[in-house]
Amino acid sequence: MNHSSFGSLHLPSRRNFLRTTAATLAAGAMGTGFAPYAVAENEKRKQADPKPIPGGTPGLNGAFHVYAPGPPNLSFTDPPDSEPATITDFKGFAGLTYISGNVVRTDRKTGVTKLLPFLDADMRFMQGVYRGVNGRVHQGTFALI
Amino acid sequence: MDVYEPGQGDQPPTQITDFNPGITPSGLFWTTALPPEDVDVDFEEGEASMRVRNIVLTDFHDFNNALFGGGPAPKPVTISVRVRWSGIDKRLRITNADQGFTGKFIVNQAQMEWAATTEDFIYVSQPASTSKSDFAELGHMRNGSFFADE
Repeated sequence: MNHSSFGSLHLPSRRNFLRTTAATLAAGAMGTGFAPYAVAENEKRKQADPKPIPGGTPGLNGAFHVYAPGPPNLSFTDPPDSEPATITDFKGFAGLTYISGNVVRTDRKTGVTKLLPFLDADMRFMQGVYRGVNGRVHQGTFALI
Repeated sequence: MDVYEPGQGDQPPTQITDFNPGITPSGLFWTTALPPEDVDVDFEEGEASMRVRNIVLTDFHDFNNALFGGGPAPKPVTISVRVRWSGIDKRLRITNADQGFTGKFIVNQAQMEWAATTEDFIYVSQPASTSKSDFAELGHMRNGSFFADE
């Protein structure tokens, strides 16, 4: 596993911020090096859509096809033995985390910055084979963000 | 991605962003495709990483608006994220016949860094080492029509 790129992010300097589009800076900070908005990467990866899991968390009356497995000390979670994937007819690896930290927000017009918390961001992946809406089995990699 | 304004005094924090892919007409919840090389898993070692590069999502402002609408108009946001899972706190085998899935799971920890741009703001998270997971797990699992597979 390559962890070498898992380094720190740095805020753009105010001068660069004023000279360069904010979008490009943010992308560059993550090492992608090309401008957001120019190409929607998720739109380029269209393949046979996966199907949602049946059912959903009782916390939302089953109306949404997602569960939030986790420990009972977290107010928003379902029992720990709940489904972590959001796609059905799936076999493979899944990862899930609820993660918190801090983010610096910079106003693109004024350059004013503010440190703000992000709280229990729900991040997941699913990688393996799945039966798509076309009934065929595909390889796929998906994220819940 | 849920960013908050800290609460004043005894007031709880107020959510000001909810970046997600939306819900498809089929009901697929906040899920989007990634290139296969952007997820790397070493399950036996309890390690995994996920990269999200330059992906366009929607800022729904807050959770209720993301699910039910009626709030501020959604806006585009471009986001890049790195998440890393590591460690082995607990190994579990879970079978939930009601929900139709089974698998081996590892409870561990995760850290994340991310950056995003909207029309109005740039967001750059503090380094991953400053983030903390309240819960993290990795699974090798199957569900739906694969549930009964050996």
